[in-house]
Amino acid sequence: MSAAEQHKRTEKILEVSNLHTRFKVRDGYLYAVNGVSFSLDKGEMLGVVGESGCGKSITMMSLIRLLPPAAEVTEGTVLLDGQDISQASSSEINAIRGAKVGMIFQDPMTSLNPFMKIGDQLIEGIRYHKKLTRVAALEKAAKYLELVGISNPDHRLTEYPHQLSGGMRQRVMIAMALIGEPDLVICDEPSTALDVTIQAQIVELVKELREKLNMSIIWITHDLSLLAGMVDRIMVMYGGQVVEEAVTDELYRAPRHPYTIGLLKSIPSLKTEAGSRLPSIGGAPPNLFAEPSGCPFAPRCSFRTDRCTREVPPLTPLQAGESDPLHRVACWVDVQQQGAAQ
Amino acid sequence: MRRYILSRLIRWIPSVFVLLLTIYALVFFGAGDPIKLIFLQAPGDVAYDPARVEAIREAAGLNRPFLVQFGDYLANVVQGDFGNSLVSGRSVNSMIQAALPVTLQIGLSAICIVSLLGIALGVIAGLNQNKLLDNVIVGFAMIIWGIPVFVSGPLIIVVLVLGFNQDVPYGWDGLFSPLVLVPLLVLGLNPMALIIRQARAGVLEVLSEDYVRTARAKGIPNLQVVLRHIMRPVLTPVVSQIGLLVIATLNNSILIEKVFGLPGLGRLTETAIKSSDYPVILAIVLIFSVVVMTSNLLVDISYPLLDPRAAAKRTENEE
Amino acid sequence: MTELAIQGPQEDRQISLVQDAFARLAANKLAVLGMILVAVLFIIAAFGPWLTPYDFLDQDLMARNQPPSWNHWFGTDDLGRDILSRVIYGARTAVVVAFSTVFFSLIIGLFIGSIGGYFGGKVDAFVVWLIDITMSVPSLLVVIVINVSLKPSMVNWMDAKFMETGNEFYRNTIWVDFILVFGSMALIKWPKAARIIRGQIMSVRNKNYVLAAEALGVSTPNIIRRYVIPNSIGPVIVYISAALGEAMVLESSFSFLGVGVRPPIPSWGNMISDGLRVWQLYPHVLAAPAAALAVVTIAFSFLGDGLNDALNPRQWK
Repeated sequence: MSAAEQHKRTEKILEVSNLHTRFKVRDGYLYAVNGVSFSLDKGEMLGVVGESGCGKSITMMSLIRLLPPAAEVTEGTVLLDGQDISQASSSEINAIRGAKVGMIFQDPMTSLNPFMKIGDQLIEGIRYHKKLTRVAALEKAAKYLELVGISNPDHRLTEYPHQLSGGMRQRVMIAMALIGEPDLVICDEPSTALDVTIQAQIVELVKELREKLNMSIIWITHDLSLLAGMVDRIMVMYGGQVVEEAVTDELYRAPRHPYTIGLLKSIPSLKTEAGSRLPSIGGAPPNLFAEPSGCPFAPRCSFRTDRCTREVPPLTPLQAGESDPLHRVACWVDVQQQGAAQ
Repeated sequence: MRRYILSRLIRWIPSVFVLLLTIYALVFFGAGDPIKLIFLQAPGDVAYDPARVEAIREAAGLNRPFLVQFGDYLANVVQGDFGNSLVSGRSVNSMIQAALPVTLQIGLSAICIVSLLGIALGVIAGLNQNKLLDNVIVGFAMIIWGIPVFVSGPLIIVVLVLGFNQDVPYGWDGLFSPLVLVPLLVLGLNPMALIIRQARAGVLEVLSEDYVRTARAKGIPNLQVVLRHIMRPVLTPVVSQIGLLVIATLNNSILIEKVFGLPGLGRLTETAIKSSDYPVILAIVLIFSVVVMTSNLLVDISYPLLDPRAAAKRTENEE
Repeated sequence: MTELAIQGPQEDRQISLVQDAFARLAANKLAVLGMILVAVLFIIAAFGPWLTPYDFLDQDLMARNQPPSWNHWFGTDDLGRDILSRVIYGARTAVVVAFSTVFFSLIIGLFIGSIGGYFGGKVDAFVVWLIDITMSVPSLLVVIVINVSLKPSMVNWMDAKFMETGNEFYRNTIWVDFILVFGSMALIKWPKAARIIRGQIMSVRNKNYVLAAEALGVSTPNIIRRYVIPNSIGPVIVYISAALGEAMVLESSFSFLGVGVRPPIPSWGNMISDGLRVWQLYPHVLAAPAAALAVVTIAFSFLGDGLNDALNPRQWK
């Protein structure tokens, strides 16, 4: 069975089609997510990469509608484990949050309530969802703390967030996301706010947990180099749209979208000559205050054509016969032909 | 914690001392001669006799040098004796004992009601930001903040009497009589605006905090998010306003007592000032200041109780 | 690799801080309303008394306690004086006292606050202690005491001066009232201004860009000029508008209690006190000054809030 057929056969935990989210601002709208579609197999780990403001976080938060009051999802369907949750009522969404979909946020310093004990914050969700007694819930919490590598869990439960280090707080956040035993876990840059050594620990921890608990995971980051050796597939976003999507190795080996190519080139490697200039992508971030017309990357793209500025390129699979049928690109230009992929 | 309270108390003492000294000096050097005043205000057939005035002054020890008189006064105060009224001769203590409970009862009740109601309204407003409910509450708060007590008081009286045919609420009948309702309401209006505003601002700030987003991500119902995650952080800034609240209430009670005829400290102050009865004035100033400083102290103590981070800092500093 | 061509983003209009604040203020309808009302107040206070048909002292004992009519738009009080004229003059009283109070509190406050902020250490500790004491005193009470205590001596002094010089100015003891009122209020209200300036100085001193400037050899007066003053202007403006409103209320509280500006000089406070005596029979006597005071304080409240929002914008409304 070919990989494509295999992919179709495998059960999907998440299927998103044509998601649009916008923010109401003073004189109009900010179009943050513009037609994002993707899917996730059960047990798969997907990396989502893009610069600040490209819409990666908002996309994922739109799935469970965890948005600020000014934001609204204007279009799109979301199938979670086969069920359409895009029109779910608020109590249905609440039942999903924490229990079927868990979230781990970026900044552990501010994401924990400084006024509540760790234990109370951990058990809040499951006491509501699973109707556990306080004692039973705390026991479970202690187990999960141990699972994420926190020593002396029973004592930690009685402490306040400010008494823990940054790395420990992030581990608590992870425990808090997992304790509800969700099917899907979304990690929104969980290691970005931590220093590098802790960052590595957290990454290792998540990899370990994925093995143990067999969860589906979405990992959001702006750091492309982090995803190698960690995720199964990578999705690249720019200007509120998906511009490229491929199996990890394939993406690093043969990127097709000019933005992806630029990103990869800007990663410093051991082979980079000392004293040479690190390539960067010129230009400025896209203006999201207008509805998208044309490819969002066009202003900064050296391959752009007339068509690129007029029509939004759809995300299309590469020609048949390529090594990875899952490799999709949203571009009008065949960069291989242009000899750009060096 | 105890050390903190102690250190604050120690800082009080010079403050209170300076305050007393200043007021004493002001009244001593500035105020008209109270004995003379009594004579001038007495019914017509009592002749103004300078010799008699002198004699009375001498007898009351009013001719001694300033510092001697002040020292004497202080010594008495420390023993709890505030002297006697220059006008009536009654002991100031007894006058205060009669008046203080009234002011205290009304003041405390007003503060309690105002805090509870104010917080509730402020939170509701904050949660419904920019919607009609919010605008109504904020508008209401702005209006009641703007109208001074001695305007809203008479206004409400006018409405009650002309509109609803009630009697003019005047006089004091104990804390639990219906007479107290209107003054309580009027006293509470002004400070409630403060609390509403602070609670609302607090809620808005908390709402944009990351940990609220985390709580929502856990899927717990909105009401629970509000009660458990939002109320606690909001309390701290609101409590910090209580000091101002107390001062405002004290000030307003002076005015209220005149409008509604309540026999409290405010009334006492008015009459004492008009007749330069300075033992009474001094005693009242002392009491008011002590009340304010106490409430400030209580507010300060409450911070570590409300905010675990402050508690940690406090113990840190004490080590 | 070929240079990536850049197409610039849309031009953002550059606006200065002042313009930005102004725009925000103008968008706030309540604040604009407040501003208009306050402007009207100032105009009435400045020019009103010359435009009234009656002098506020004129008594017409044949027309006492008249309800509003064409002759007397707001009616007359129980000495036959035209209430409209008195309310207008009351505006002047309010504005004069408020401005003087705020002016002097600013002077005292800025002076003391900057000393504390600048010198730090023991001097600052003293300043903080001074601020604390002054703020913990119930203002109404103390101002009344100051007023009442100093008044007789000042009156005596004025009389003596009049005897000495024969200068008409000293005859008019009304000035004593005014000076005492705004003087004593200034003595109570300066701490807020002091705190502002002290806070600014202290926070500026710690900022990295100031340390950098000092390291580059920028002199202290220049640091003050370039960093402290521009940063302080916002809070000071907000303070001024709030303090003006508060001063007006405070002043009317005093005259309400019979201290401070006394009849026959109209102050809305003493007019309200008068009105309270007869309102059941003649409600108009109470209504006019009460409404005036209420409207003005609400206007200042709106304006103050608007200024606060405009100058200290909050993220993500």
